Amino acid sequence: MGSVQSRRWFLVPGVIFLLVIDMVPLVYSLGVSLYEWWLVRPRDVRFIGLGNYSALVLDPAFRRSVLVTCILTFGAVVVEFLAGLALALLFAQPFRFLRPMRAVIMMPLFVVPVVGATMWRLILHPELGVLGYYLSLLGFGNPQWLSDPTLAMIALILVDAWRTIPFMFLVIHAGLETLPAELYEAARVDGASWLQAFRYITVPLLAYIMLVAVLIRGMDIFREFDIIFVLTGGGPGTATETIQLLNYRVFGLGHMGQANAIGVITLILVALMCYLLIRAVLRTR
Amino acid sequence: MLAGMMAVLAAMALSFAPDAFAQAKTLNLSMLAGFKEDVLRANLPDFERRTGIKVAVDAAPLSELYKKQLLSLSTGARHDVLFMDEPWVPALSEFLLPLDERARGIDMQDFIPTTVDAGAYQGRQYTLPVDPNVQILVYRKDLFEQRGLKVPTTWEELLQAAKALHDPAKQQYGIAFTAGSDVQTPLYMTLLMWSYGAELVDARGRAGVNTDAGKKGAEMFLELIKVAPPAVKSFTFADVNKAIQLGQAAMAIQWASGAKPMEDPTRSSVAGKLGYALVPKGTRQAPMRGVWTVAIAKNSPNLEIAWEFAKWLSGREFGLASTRYPSAISAIHCARVSVLSDPGTKQALPYADALLGNLKLAKGRPRLKEYPDIQEHMRVTASRLTAGELSLDAALKEMDAGINKLLGK
Amino acid sequence: MQTRKILTALGLTPALLWTLFPLYWILTASFKTELSLYARPPQWIFSPILENYKRVLFNIPFFQYLTNSLLIATGTTVGSLVLGTLAAYGFSRTRFWGSGALRFLILVTRMVPRMTLVVPYYLIMLKIGMLDTYTGLIIAYISFAMPFSIWLLIGFFDDVPIEVEEAALVDGCNPIGTLLRVVIPIAAPGLAVAAIFAFLVSWNEFLFALILSGVHSKTLPVVIAGLTTDLGPLYGEMSAAAIMVMLPNVLMTLVLQRYVVKGLTLGAVKG
Repeated sequence: MGSVQSRRWFLVPGVIFLLVIDMVPLVYSLGVSLYEWWLVRPRDVRFIGLGNYSALVLDPAFRRSVLVTCILTFGAVVVEFLAGLALALLFAQPFRFLRPMRAVIMMPLFVVPVVGATMWRLILHPELGVLGYYLSLLGFGNPQWLSDPTLAMIALILVDAWRTIPFMFLVIHAGLETLPAELYEAARVDGASWLQAFRYITVPLLAYIMLVAVLIRGMDIFREFDIIFVLTGGGPGTATETIQLLNYRVFGLGHMGQANAIGVITLILVALMCYLLIRAVLRTR
Repeated sequence: MLAGMMAVLAAMALSFAPDAFAQAKTLNLSMLAGFKEDVLRANLPDFERRTGIKVAVDAAPLSELYKKQLLSLSTGARHDVLFMDEPWVPALSEFLLPLDERARGIDMQDFIPTTVDAGAYQGRQYTLPVDPNVQILVYRKDLFEQRGLKVPTTWEELLQAAKALHDPAKQQYGIAFTAGSDVQTPLYMTLLMWSYGAELVDARGRAGVNTDAGKKGAEMFLELIKVAPPAVKSFTFADVNKAIQLGQAAMAIQWASGAKPMEDPTRSSVAGKLGYALVPKGTRQAPMRGVWTVAIAKNSPNLEIAWEFAKWLSGREFGLASTRYPSAISAIHCARVSVLSDPGTKQALPYADALLGNLKLAKGRPRLKEYPDIQEHMRVTASRLTAGELSLDAALKEMDAGINKLLGK
Repeated sequence: MQTRKILTALGLTPALLWTLFPLYWILTASFKTELSLYARPPQWIFSPILENYKRVLFNIPFFQYLTNSLLIATGTTVGSLVLGTLAAYGFSRTRFWGSGALRFLILVTRMVPRMTLVVPYYLIMLKIGMLDTYTGLIIAYISFAMPFSIWLLIGFFDDVPIEVEEAALVDGCNPIGTLLRVVIPIAAPGLAVAAIFAFLVSWNEFLFALILSGVHSKTLPVVIAGLTTDLGPLYGEMSAAAIMVMLPNVLMTLVLQRYVVKGLTLGAVKG
C-alpha cells in the first residue's frame, strides 16, 4: 500500500533539521582547521592544508592528552558499568522497599555538573574537606587528592562515577525488568545456580543494552569537560589534561585553526570507537 | 485597505523607533563577574542619573572573560565598552579605539603613571586604568611579634622566617601561594624570576628565562614549596586566601584585591592581625602589576557615550565610591593618586599604603600580542616542574623553547 | 528470603550513602556560612541561615534567569519531541538504501565536541541576528537532544506491532492519524523518557549558554558558574542556587518516574 512508502517522508523534517544544524558547522569546522587563523591577528589568515593536523600529531602535549583521555575513559566506563550493573542486579529483586530508593539513586543526575564538581572539590580538599578529616581519623592519613597525579585521576573517575552511575543503573535496570521471569524459573528448576543463570541468560540477552550504555557513556566521557576543569584544571602538571581541556586552552587563546583541528580529530576518534563497538554488537546478534 | 497598510507600517515604524532611540543611549559592557560586578552595579544608577545613559552589563567569570572579549571584538559583535585586564591589551588593541586624543581632556596626571602604561601599546593609549592591582606581602603581625621576627625584605629572609614559622604538625605553614595548574602559578614564577633580574622576554625579543637569574628564581620557588601547605600544588587564588583566613599560613604573596576578605571577621579568623608590606626582593624589587582597565571597541556605534562611560569609570567620583563600597569582599581600587592617598580611603582599605607603595615599583608583563600564550605556556611548564614531570633544567629549557617558538624565533 | 533481604539492604546502604552524602553536603552548605563550612570537626548539626538563599534570589535577577532557563528548556523539549518523533517513526517504519548509514550519521555528528561547534554556531547566529535570543539556544539544544531521542524512539516504535497500525489504516485512518492516535499512545513512555532527557540536556548546558547568550537570554548554569569568583567559589550561594535549580528536575522526574522505567524497558532491548 502506498502508506508504507509515504512513511518515508516523516523522516524529512527531523533529518533535514539535524543535517543542516549539525553538518553546516561541521563543514565549517573542517574548513577552518585547514587554515592558520589566530583571532588576535585577523589579517594573517593563511591556508595551510593539513598543517594543523601534522603539528598536533607531532606535539607531545597532544599525544599525552590522547593517552590521558583514553585512560580516563576506560577507567570511568569500567567503574561505572560495574557499579551500575551491581546496583541494577540489587534492584532486580522483588522487594517493595526498593521502589522509592530508585528515585533517590537517580538524584545525582539532576545536579548541575559544575556544582557537583565544585562541592566534590571541597569535600576532597586536604585541609578544608570533610573526607580528609574522617580518613585521617580512621588512620588512612590525609591523601593529597588533587596534588598527586594518580590520585587526581582517581578523583576524577570518582566524581564522574558519582554523577553518572545512575544513568548506567537506569539503563541496565530497565533491561533487566524486561527479562521474562519464566526463564529464570525454568533455570532454577533445572538446578542452575544464580551465577550460571547470570552467565547464560542475563548476559546474552542484555548484551546489546549493556554495550549501548557503555558506548554512550564512553563517547560522553571522551568529550567530558566541565567536571575535569573544575576539579583539577588539567593538573597536577598535565596528569589530567584531556583532549578537551587542551582544546579549551587553545580555543581560549584564539587559535581557531588548531582548535578546530583538535575537534575534528576528536570526532574521528569517537566515531571510530563508536563504529567498532557497533560492529561488535551487530556481530553478536 | 490602504489605511490598514499605513497603520501597520506606522506601527512597525513606532516599534522600531523606541528601540533605535534606546540603543542610542544604551551601552553594552563586557564585565568581570563577581564582586567587582557588584560594586559596579551598585554605582551604575548614579551614572545613569548623571548622563541618562543606560549600561547593560554582560558579565563573565575570569576564566572566560578574555575568550569572550576576543571572540566578541574579532567578530564585530556588540560590546561597546570592555573591562579589560592589562595583559590582554596588546592582543586586543587591534580592535580598540585609541584614546590619545580624548585623554588630553581629562586629568591624566592624577593616575599613578605605571597604571597608565598598562593601557598603552606601541606608543598609543588604548585603555584607561580603573582598578590597579599589585602583588603584596601579607604576614601575621602577631606571629612575627611573638617570635621577634622582623618583616622580611629579601626572599632569603622570607625563606628563613617561613621556616621558623612552619609547623605542619600544628597545621601551621610558612607561606601560601599557588604552585600547580592554577592561573596564578606562572605569575608567582615570573615574580621570582624578575626578582633576580631575569626577563621573560629580553631586549632582543628572545626568551630570557633559561639564564642564571631565571634559575635562581625557579630554585627559590621550589624552596618555598617546602614551607608551604602540602596542598599548595593544587591551590588556587582563593585557597591562598583561605590559608591566611583560617590562620594556617603565616605569610602569603597575594594580589592586593585578595586582601580585603582577610580583614573580614565573618570570613577570617585573623582579621586585624595582619600586616602588609612590599614584596621581597632578590637583586631587585619587582612586584607584578595587574591593572584592570576600560576599553572602547573600535567598531562601536556609540563611541561618544562609550567615552562618557570610560571617563566616569576611571574618574574620581566612582573611585571614591568604589573604594569605600561597604562590602567585606574586594572593592574596585582606584588608579588615582588623589583617591588612594585620601584618608577616607586608607580607613576603608587598610592595605592602601602597601598598594600605593608597591604600585610605584610595580613591573608590567611583556607588552606583546603573544603574551597570553606565553603566560599559558609558563603555567603548564611550571606546573609540570612542580608535579615532578620535568627536572629544573629541563623545565627552564622548555620555558625558553616555548616562548621563542611563540615569538617565531 | 529474609537473608537476601538483609543482604540487599546491606549492599544498598553504601550505595545510598555514596549517592546522598554529597547531596546532603550541598544542601547543608546552602544553609551555612563559609567559615562553618570548613569547621573541623565537620558540623552535621548546626543552626541554618537563610543568607545564601536571600543573596541568590535578590542580588542577581534570579527569577529572570530561571524564566530564561525554563522557556528554553521547554522549547527544546517540545521541539526535539516533535521532530524526533517524526523522524524516529519514519526510520522505524521504512527501510531504504542508506537508512542505516543515515542513522549512524545522525548519531555521530552529535559527537563533535561542543567546543568545536561553538564558534561556527556563534558566527552563524551572529550573522542571522540570533545571538542572545531564546530561539538561538533552543535550536542548538534541539540538535543536541534529538539524536538520542530518535535512537530511543526508534526502539519504541519498533515495539508497536505493525498489525495495530494496519488495523487502523483499514478503518480509514491516514498515516498521520495513525501516528497520533494509535502509535504514540502506545509508545508514550518512550516519549516521556525523551522529554526528560531533552529537558535535562537543555537545563544543565553551560558552554553554549555562555557563548551564545548575553544579557537577555542568560541561563542558570552560566549564572551558577559565575558564582565561582576570583575569590573562589561562593559555596553557600552556589549550593543554594544548585538546590533551587534542581527542584524543577526533581519534580518533573517524580511525576514521570513510573514512565521512565517502563519507558526504557520497552525501548532498550531492540533498536
